[in-house]
Amino acid sequence: MEVVPISIAAIAALLSIVATYLAVRSRDLLAAVVFSAVQSTAYALIYYVLMAPDIALVYIPVSVGILPAVTVMLVKKTERYEE
Amino acid sequence: MRLREVVVAVSVALMVLLLAYVVSAGGLGPLAPRELRELARSYLANAYNPWNVTQSSLSLEAVTAIVWDYRGIDTFFETSVLFASIVGVSLIFRGYRERPGIGGRGLSEIVKTSTRVLLPLILVAGVSIALHGHLTPGGGFQGGSFIAVLLVLATVVFSLDFLVERGLASGRLLALRSAGLLGVLATSVALLAVGLALGIDAYIFQNMVREGSELSMPQWLLDRPTGGTLLFFNVFEALAVAAGLALAFLVLSLREEEVGEAMAAGEWHE
Repeated sequence: MEVVPISIAAIAALLSIVATYLAVRSRDLLAAVVFSAVQSTAYALIYYVLMAPDIALVYIPVSVGILPAVTVMLVKKTERYEE
Repeated sequence: MRLREVVVAVSVALMVLLLAYVVSAGGLGPLAPRELRELARSYLANAYNPWNVTQSSLSLEAVTAIVWDYRGIDTFFETSVLFASIVGVSLIFRGYRERPGIGGRGLSEIVKTSTRVLLPLILVAGVSIALHGHLTPGGGFQGGSFIAVLLVLATVVFSLDFLVERGLASGRLLALRSAGLLGVLATSVALLAVGLALGIDAYIFQNMVREGSELSMPQWLLDRPTGGTLLFFNVFEALAVAAGLALAFLVLSLREEEVGEAMAAGEWHE
């Protein structure tokens, strides 16, 4: 079996869990957006390693580019810190 | 507090690892077979098969062949769903128009200069992903979202006013979006229309020569395979996705003064 790609996927998955936890816990909404982008980056790596380059190509611009941009825009319209 | 967070994170990770072990041991149902199934085998054999064109789409990329040829109608409705959500966004903010002269003038000169270097690279990457959708991984949606990222980046770095002064407007983006979707529609019924005009049998979403129909989209552009409809679908889809996502971002980034105007226009319509 191919050990290297699967261990890369496992490490990216662990990183994504940590990032998701921090995104949920964070009271600073801008930091939460950044953590969620880190989680998306890890997922894009997993898609690539699992031989789905089509999904990786669409996942990078949408969830690392456009989604954080829209969320930052919405955070700017409300407040940065959660009560 | 810090220690507690670390403990929680580690225990969550441990739980996921244990779950992965259970899944890999077959504890949550049978695992996917390691050898190819019959359906996958036939897709792989037929995606690029110049010896048996009646079942092939002459595309070197099997994923694009499945998405836009073998399962074309599914993808058409997916595109329509995205279009409907964009219509919803622009319906809520109907009467929205960009007003020049409010808000900042963008980020610092350093960021602007480095972005000026970056933007052509993103544009080339997006266009090449869309145009080579039938040859390499990628396609219309991927290329279109790259170009949408370009527009979002330009909006943030150079400010909205800068782009509005150079002709960017939500109305124009909506028109581009509609043109892209109309192009997808026209491509899907192109051979049917030709068949009706010439009195030959043809199918909707027909790509190459099929059983009972001799019509075919162009198979080669100079010495490269075009994948027939796939090239057209990818180009139009890229146009529609880029304009649609950029429109959604533009409308969501509206400023205080414009909100009031949009609300007033909404009340006027009612």
